[in-house]
Amino acid sequence: MEQPLTKLFDQQVGNLDQAHVNLLYWSAMAEDRKMRYNITNAFDDLKYLQHTRTKQAVYAYIEALRVCCLLEIREEGNKKNLYITEYGARALETLVNQGYTLQPSHFLGG
Amino acid sequence: MLIGIGGAGSKLSSTFDGGSNVVINISEAELNKAKAAQRILAVVHSGRGKREGAKKNPEIGKTAFISIKDQLEDMVRGNTVITSTGGGTGMGITWKVLESIAQKDDVPEEEKTTFILVLPYADREPSEYVDNTIQFISQPVSWAIDSGNTGNVFLVSNKEKFVNRMTEAEFNGLIARRFNAFFQIPAKCEEHASLEGHIDREDFSLYLSKPYFNYFVDFDYEHKKPLDEQLASNTNRLMLEPDTPLEAMFLLEVPNHADERMFYDVLDHFESRNVVPIYAVVRNPNLQVPHLTLSLLYARKPHDLVNDFIRISEKRTRDKIRKSIEQHGTFGPKKVNLEQEAMKEAMKAGKKEDEVISVLKRIGKL
Repeated sequence: MEQPLTKLFDQQVGNLDQAHVNLLYWSAMAEDRKMRYNITNAFDDLKYLQHTRTKQAVYAYIEALRVCCLLEIREEGNKKNLYITEYGARALETLVNQGYTLQPSHFLGG
Repeated sequence: MLIGIGGAGSKLSSTFDGGSNVVINISEAELNKAKAAQRILAVVHSGRGKREGAKKNPEIGKTAFISIKDQLEDMVRGNTVITSTGGGTGMGITWKVLESIAQKDDVPEEEKTTFILVLPYADREPSEYVDNTIQFISQPVSWAIDSGNTGNVFLVSNKEKFVNRMTEAEFNGLIARRFNAFFQIPAKCEEHASLEGHIDREDFSLYLSKPYFNYFVDFDYEHKKPLDEQLASNTNRLMLEPDTPLEAMFLLEVPNHADERMFYDVLDHFESRNVVPIYAVVRNPNLQVPHLTLSLLYARKPHDLVNDFIRISEKRTRDKIRKSIEQHGTFGPKKVNLEQEAMKEAMKAGKKEDEVISVLKRIGKL
């Protein structure tokens, strides 16, 4: 059973693109800095980097990561904050090793 | 003929009585607004085409003078030029007029030009106006007066306008009324019965052709009061204060049944100052009390005059410098989170890939 799951994980990760990598990366960085990174921040950052211009698209990126259990959305005080899961961390590790660049977040300041 | 140069000069010239007026401007729109018998457009071009104003820059006015040089030099002979000394058009063009007058060998008395110069109120008007005025008085006005080729120069100050919070139209009207009263001296002498002395048009124009500053005043004359006191209480606030007079002229209008011999008191006043005025005493039946119109010619060095302006200009510059120094004061302390700064620096310096793995480990996700 272990083998097919690893294959599924690789397939899921293989379908992610730069916007997903950014979201995983920024969520991890925010958590590390004890900051809260929410969907609006994600929208602002992705818009700033010209990945998209619509909030729907950002929500779709986040939703894809959530259903794959790579990202967790927690409702904290009227805000939907993003937290990377352990699977997400492994996915990010894999993606970084594959050579994805880590783009800076405007909100996190670098 | 009155020649109004520039915006202020044009507006003022149209408020004066008597004879036709000519207005000169760089801006066609401003020129068309002015009431005038004749309008002259001085043309000056920039890289973008014809200019529509002088931007308070007298250099533009000086360049514009070239386009009307011959016409204007002919026109000013024996006439009066009125302009402000602060702006670009009037001051720039008049600068060149004065310069050309100063360079002439000799100008016959009947061809001398009288100048009415409106000076800015240094305390309230922009520093460009004050600086332009300093340049203007210390250079062309000074050259022209020293050459002896100019007629009377009237120095009008804008101060009263600001002190009494007058509208421009009111102020221009006031200047025009005071000047009209002065310029009517020969006409009054013709109109009313002459009692003593005589000032005809020729005498008046000879007086105007003298290269001095002219200060004049008119007030109801009180026979019993010394003239010194009357002059002190009836100053012409529109003009700069006069220096010691060199020459003088007065017209005393006396009502019916008044004793005209009171003019001897005026003569006594001037005798003590070694000045022999030209004068006329006429009977004006329309008056209830005697009325005196008095003009003094004085030769204050333009240098002294400029000093007043320089003093104010320097004070203003000092204030500006002080203000700019205050603006460059110290900034308040900036709160810096050293941990965050170190992290940012590490991010810039180190490899991001390694860093993100360590971050993931640190937050317990790997």
